[in-house]
Order: sequence, then structure tokens, then C-alpha cells
Amino acid sequence: MLLENKYYKVLRARKEGEGRAVYHVAILPNCNVYEGHFPGNPVCPGVCNIQTIKECASLLVGKELRILSIKQCLLTAIATPTVCPEVDVEVEVSESDGKYSIVATISDEKRQYMAFKGEGV
Amino acid sequence: MTDIKKLIPQRSPIMMVDELLEVHDDVARCSLTIREDNFFLEPDGAIAEPGVIEHIAQSASAFAGYSAIQAGATEPPVGYIGEVKRFRLNRRPRKAETLVTTITMGPTVGGVTIITGETVSGEETIATTQMKIYVAGE
Repeated sequence: MLLENKYYKVLRARKEGEGRAVYHVAILPNCNVYEGHFPGNPVCPGVCNIQTIKECASLLVGKELRILSIKQCLLTAIATPTVCPEVDVEVEVSESDGKYSIVATISDEKRQYMAFKGEGV
Repeated sequence: MTDIKKLIPQRSPIMMVDELLEVHDDVARCSLTIREDNFFLEPDGAIAEPGVIEHIAQSASAFAGYSAIQAGATEPPVGYIGEVKRFRLNRRPRKAETLVTTITMGPTVGGVTIITGETVSGEETIATTQMKIYVAGE
């Protein structure tokens, strides 16, 4: 997967029944994305967090998912490798007619960074 | 129109706009060619879906940067995506394809601007979305 062990690393996973899991991940501060986002001011690109959610959802269902649509994705706080070196990615996935509904959040004990609702295949 | 680095604060490896092609009132068009070294390029030769979102966001950023510089700013403003809404992706763009994105800028209220973006490759629609963008310091 594109960003696993490059932008983030899964430290532990906790399945919470069928179609639901929490991935505790480290945000890797040495990822080269921070050379450009932004020079001297490392900020997690929101789209990298979306990709992280997609990859965690893929780990959960056991196949690489593709995003077809995003109903709504709220970026509720600025995330940086310093502000939130470790976060919980909570993912809930359900399948119907070959499509996967994905509902996910990224948060730590201080705040929520992202709330995502989308559809994948 | 202008050196893209003057318009957006993002730098390699995550520059997702090559050029601001034109601006007319509240509409702008930007382009990006997917190259070998694209940050989002996957082994199958297409980019990951969030790469398209980043391209649309940076197209809006280039538009905002152009407007800011027209208004006398010397540095492009740093903007953050606040919300992605009604994003639809028809297919993932492939290496060597050139994307053209049309950004329509809505009103700015309290530092938050609502934009719509449509990305095409040739005649084919690749993606459409709405976004809320925050500009730091406003």
C-alpha cells in the first residue's frame, strides 16, 4: 500500500466485531511529504489522512479498496507529526452489492482530526 | 500565467499543479501532468484517489495565490482543506495524462471559502467535488 510504513505505521489493531476496527498508528515524522508540505512547517496533508483511512479499511476487509465517492470528509483540526505523533484510526466498513460503505475517524485523546464518510470498491 | 511556485506554498514531492492556465472572474483553470515521480503514483501506473483531491485543492490554492498576489501579497497564502463534500471519481488518472481542473470560487465567509472543482482529461470527466478551504491568518 502506498503510505503504509512511509507516512504511517500500524502499531496495533483492535477488531471490534465484524466490519469494525481501531488501528493505532504512528505518524512517521521522517516521511518525505513534509519536505513540501510545507517547507519548514510540517503539516499532515489531509489527503494523506484520507489515504490512511482507505488503507486501514483495506486492512479490515482484506483487499485493496478504491474510493469511488466521498459523501463528506471533515478535517476538524490541523494534524502534524508533533501535535499527534500517534492517532487512532477507527474504521467501520459494510458491504452491499459489491460496494463498501466506509465510515471512519482519526483522533487521539485530545481531539478529532478527521471524520470521513465515503464509498469504495 | 505565472511561476506556479509563486502561487502555491506546496513544494516537491507534493506539488500537484503545474500551471495556472487562466482566470476569469470567479473561475480558474489549472493543469497537471502525471509524471513518474508523482507522490501518489502506484505500481499499476495510476495515482491513488486522494492525489486527485490534492490536485483540486492545490488548483484552488493557485487561484487564491493569484488573487492574493494581484492584491499585493508577496507570498502565496497557506490554505487548509476544511471539508471535502460530494467527491466523485470516475477513474484514477494514469501516468503521462494531463489533467485540467476548473475551480469555481464561492463566497468567503470568516476565512472559509467554498469552491467547486471539476477535473477532466481531454473530454472525459475524471472527478467532481466541493471543498471548504481555510486560509491561515484570516
